[in-house]
Amino acid sequence: MKIKVNKEKLVMSITIGIACFALMLVMFMQFKMVKQTDITAIETMRESELKLELSSWNEKYKQLYARYEEVVTKMEEYKNESVTDQKTAQLLEAELEQLNELLGKTDVVGQGIVIQLIDNQGKKISEDATVYAISKENLLRVINELFAAGAEAISINGNRVISTSAVYTIGTDILKINNGNKISSPYVINAIGNPDYLKSSVSGKGGIVDELEELGHETSVDIRDEIEIEKYSDDISTKYIK
Amino acid sequence: MIYIAIIIGCIIGALIGINAPVIPYTYSTFLAIAVVAALDSVFGGITSVLKKNFDLVIFISGFFCNSLLSIALTYLGQKLNLDIYLAALVVFVGRMFTNLTIIRRYYIEKWTVKLEEKRKSMGQ
Repeated sequence: MKIKVNKEKLVMSITIGIACFALMLVMFMQFKMVKQTDITAIETMRESELKLELSSWNEKYKQLYARYEEVVTKMEEYKNESVTDQKTAQLLEAELEQLNELLGKTDVVGQGIVIQLIDNQGKKISEDATVYAISKENLLRVINELFAAGAEAISINGNRVISTSAVYTIGTDILKINNGNKISSPYVINAIGNPDYLKSSVSGKGGIVDELEELGHETSVDIRDEIEIEKYSDDISTKYIK
Repeated sequence: MIYIAIIIGCIIGALIGINAPVIPYTYSTFLAIAVVAALDSVFGGITSVLKKNFDLVIFISGFFCNSLLSIALTYLGQKLNLDIYLAALVVFVGRMFTNLTIIRRYYIEKWTVKLEEKRKSMGQ
């Protein structure tokens, strides 16, 4: 082989080699790029695909944003509702408290009267007349009169009178109240309500206290600014109410 | 000599191309169109060699100018939001096919001539 090469041919070879080099370089770079972009997600996609994807994401974003706004407004609503709920809860609580007070489940304090009845059973008031014991009817009448006069809470010897309370006798003259709490003289009846109304309902001419006084018992009716009446101590449970 | 230059150039180019950093996707269209333009020039060069009117200056200038021009056109197309590179692609690929046809015809003719000669010598 000839070492001496035609100069023209050498130049031609080098230029063509450079051209080949450039071509292959660009081609392989492109191959590599395409291969790489085929692997990963977003970079691989063609521009049109990306556009589609973008528009779909845009759509999704819009939807989600709408949903977000919906939720926010709903949350606002719930917030408002919860505020009103709080109000109703407060109202309900107040109502519940009031009902509990009326029912006798809480200790209550208020102005009212205190009636004291001391049984003078057996005491002779004349030759042939002795004093009879204070009966359940007497006590029931007192309670009834007091409630009629607007009493809001009544207790007899610390036993709260509630809607299911009963005053009854066992045997001859043992008075019982509520679920068998024994009560005996002196009977102290506390009543919360308008003191004037309460007092005038039981005392005065024709009043039950007056009558008892006439029958020979010791009685007193005092108006107090603050009377404490304890709650109903026994269980309040229903068995037959459906 | 020329073939050695071609092979060496191709190998070096391929090696560097494989090890080159990955170019961003945005520029891939430019590279692709440059590759097509260069290939078109190569086929054009082969055709001209066969036609015996090969000129190195024309070949090299065509090789690089076509590539750069196609890149410029693609860039312009991107700016205009018009896929001009498609037009360049059609032209280049069309020319490539034309040149391929010429090359094919040349070799087939050469082959048939050879066959004819063989038959003639066999007949003699």
